[in-house]
Amino acid sequence: MLRRFPKLVPRSAPVILVVLTLAAATGFAAVSHLVSRYTLNQQARGRKLYQVGLGDAKAARYDDAIAAFRAALTCDPTNPQYQLSLARALRDSNDPGRLDEAESYLLALWQRAPQDAAVNLALARVAAHRGSIEDATRYYHNAMYGVWSSDSDGNRNRARIELIQFLLRKNARAQADSELIALSAALPADPASHLQAAQFFEQAQDFGGALAQYEEVLPADSSNSAALAGAGETAYHSGNYVVAERYLRRAVKANPDDANSRQLLASTDLVLGANPFHSHISDAERNRRITAAFSQAEERLTQCAAQSHVDLKLTTTPPASALPALQGRWLLAKPDLGLLRSPAETDLPDAIMDVVFQIEQQTAATCGPPQGLDLALLLISEKREAASQ
Amino acid sequence: MSNPGSPGVNSSPSSESPTVARVGPSRRLFSSLEGVFNEEVFFLILSVFIGIFSGLAVVCFRLAIDWIHLALLGPLPETHGWRLFAVPSIAGLVVAILVLHVFPGIRGSGVNQTKSALYIFNGFIPFRTAVGKFICSGIAIGSGQSLGPEDPSLQIGASIASALGRQLEISREKHRLMAPVGAAAGLAAAFNAPISAVLFVIEEVIGRWSAGILGSVVLSAVASVVIVRSFLGSEPLFRVPVTTFKRPSELLAYAVLGIVGGVASVAFAKSVGYLRPRLKALPRWTQYFQPALAGLLIGLIAFLGFPQVMGAGYDSMDQAMHGQYAWKVLAILAVLKILATTLSFVSGTPGGMFAPTLFIGAMLGGAVGDVERLFFPYLTGSTGTYVLVGMGVLFAGFLRAPMTSVFMVLEVSGNYEIIVPVIVANTVSYLVSRSLQKIPIFDLLTRQDGLILPSLEEDREETILRVEDAMLAVPPTILSAQDYVDASFHRVENSPDSSFLVRMHPSGWNTIGRDQLQRLYREGKGELTLASVLQAPSLPSLYPDLPLDSALRYVNDFPLIPIVNRADSRRLEGVISRDSVFKKYGSRRAIEVSAPV
Repeated sequence: MLRRFPKLVPRSAPVILVVLTLAAATGFAAVSHLVSRYTLNQQARGRKLYQVGLGDAKAARYDDAIAAFRAALTCDPTNPQYQLSLARALRDSNDPGRLDEAESYLLALWQRAPQDAAVNLALARVAAHRGSIEDATRYYHNAMYGVWSSDSDGNRNRARIELIQFLLRKNARAQADSELIALSAALPADPASHLQAAQFFEQAQDFGGALAQYEEVLPADSSNSAALAGAGETAYHSGNYVVAERYLRRAVKANPDDANSRQLLASTDLVLGANPFHSHISDAERNRRITAAFSQAEERLTQCAAQSHVDLKLTTTPPASALPALQGRWLLAKPDLGLLRSPAETDLPDAIMDVVFQIEQQTAATCGPPQGLDLALLLISEKREAASQ
Repeated sequence: MSNPGSPGVNSSPSSESPTVARVGPSRRLFSSLEGVFNEEVFFLILSVFIGIFSGLAVVCFRLAIDWIHLALLGPLPETHGWRLFAVPSIAGLVVAILVLHVFPGIRGSGVNQTKSALYIFNGFIPFRTAVGKFICSGIAIGSGQSLGPEDPSLQIGASIASALGRQLEISREKHRLMAPVGAAAGLAAAFNAPISAVLFVIEEVIGRWSAGILGSVVLSAVASVVIVRSFLGSEPLFRVPVTTFKRPSELLAYAVLGIVGGVASVAFAKSVGYLRPRLKALPRWTQYFQPALAGLLIGLIAFLGFPQVMGAGYDSMDQAMHGQYAWKVLAILAVLKILATTLSFVSGTPGGMFAPTLFIGAMLGGAVGDVERLFFPYLTGSTGTYVLVGMGVLFAGFLRAPMTSVFMVLEVSGNYEIIVPVIVANTVSYLVSRSLQKIPIFDLLTRQDGLILPSLEEDREETILRVEDAMLAVPPTILSAQDYVDASFHRVENSPDSSFLVRMHPSGWNTIGRDQLQRLYREGKGELTLASVLQAPSLPSLYPDLPLDSALRYVNDFPLIPIVNRADSRRLEGVISRDSVFKKYGSRRAIEVSAPV
């Protein structure tokens, strides 16, 4: 029984202090040994639990993974890998309530190693889950410029792509555009990367940038149907129909089953064939195109009026529909067709086509998207409008 | 002395600690280095060693708890396994046998046992208590009983310090203080929070601020924390999320938390206070099964889906801080933890209530915060903020340690931004708890054990009588040392007073009686000045703000004592006499006797 200590200590202050120091040193050594053995055992147990957690996380069993990672952390509380994995599992569990805890783990890791790219990337993803553009952008940038354990360039590009995708989801096009420019400067010379970048440019409505990326693919792989189709489509959407026609024709040739490219090519051909403002056509051809467009507009107007049950001869005040007024403008412009050949009437083509464009735009608004030549005329009108702006 | 397990009760100090009877200033101890060491310096150095040894012991204690938990309950949380029932029940039975047959002194609160050592047993705590607390608390907490490791750590530290003091034969006065110094070291190591530990020991164990003890307590606490951090790292108990306090109007929300926390504290304290003596009064054989039954019920709670109530619960607090539980779950956990901890504690299972108190406060804080935000969405405090504040609220309300509660939250969170909410909520909780339950939990437990120990809370509430309370108005007749005896006699001849103050020159006061003046006058000394007939020393002067006790040593020697202004000692504020002092004490006693208990 421990009723009393044996009286071993000599009663002299210096001796007592020496004895106490020795006892403390011995105790320290003994506890160190004990703690190190215990720590080793715990670390081994932690590694097993960590592997279990990784398996669960891989199988998307996040609750089990979280439990395993937590248990691993009780065995090895300061292990950054376990903390990072737990934070990732908490974040990926799709439970908004767990984001706080994930963030807390990550912030603790970040404070210890603010340059760690993996931690910054995980924090960026948490911020992205929260929808915070500012935080996400900051952490994604930290990840891009941080220290990666391997494949730095690839990881940086992937981080930037993730940021771009997040910004596009959040409709932050201006920020996405600047990231895209940075991305395009650092892309590796493989078609897949350029194709992916081009798609991002398209999503950001930067058709010029997208076209440039598609064109980057073609020198190395001139028959890449995806690049040809993408280039054709982006050129088509940006109103560059001459370029669009070139790429779309090659795309259809490279992949005859590409219905979208085929349809776009048909529209492009119609646009190119119907555009009276094309610079390389004769006056006669221009007049022919204007006349054809004028007739087509009248036909479209009549069809649309019938479709929407509007009597083009009736006029009410206020007008119930804009179609009768357009009919009136069309009728007023009709006699001018005969004056097209007159060299003095230089503004006449624009005036007549203005009526055509108004009819096409209004009927599109009233009766839905047009087809065929009407679509071509509508596209020409949009291009003219964009050019004038 | 009703508790057979308390230190020195079942075994008297004189029989088990002969050193205590012998302790006194050791001449041999300091003779060799006289001039270099005195006992004060030696005691300070000793405090560092106490901190080191306590820290080492607490490290081992924490490893033991972790190891037992892993061995008995496994590393992964089990939700519906048989072990949830079996482990705490069987462990409870083992602990009961150990407590009843091997370590009978370890039942009850370590705080009170340390306090008893300080005030009753001359600092004596059997070393067996440390061993018993280590083993039994380790088994109990590791097996899932709803108790914390802080109180046992405190007592382990106190026991180590007491044993060291006995061996070194230091003076009785210092030996008494060894236990609190060790207690601070143990608590600091357990919480990894030295300031809170120092404050708690001062607030709850020692009960007074004294420069002599403060230095030792601080040194031991710091030394133990350094040791613990060197082995277990400096990671805080919780990963505290970002906590904010933006609008002062939100203090109302925290005040509500204080009210709820105060009421919960009282409910917790009352349930412990009600059940403990009743279970102790049951036949002795039932004490073998009480911890086992408590373990079984706690296992049942865990089996029903709330395993968080098992053990100290720091992991669950951490998760609550990060918004892992809905408010309903938080509220249920708070109630269940009160139940589980009450069961564990009243059954006599050794272990502390610090961690459970923090747990209950954390859950309650989170629940109240979430509910408040449901009704007032503009409140900016996060769940983590309310959880943190809630911890302090229960600490202030249940343990009645308001200062410690504030510093505890600050030390644990490392965030001073929430200090205002913490102070407000803790103060409200403390006031609510104090108004609903007059006796703090630690005092209640000691009284149940038949001991009456001093309480800082009572001291705080005691109104101190001051000199000004017994002060009489300035007498109409003040004589001067330059006055002649005959003139003075004629001035006082018809006065109803019998003694008169004499203003001495250049400063000081004295008194002279009418009879003395009359005698001098009749002896023909009327031509003499009062200065020449009055003998030194002159009267002591007192100040109005001094405790009335300080006047007691003079009132028998002098009929009147001048009360002077602190800024101008020649300016008389009033006088006191023996009658006025005793009259004041008498009226105070009458009030105390008539006051309801």
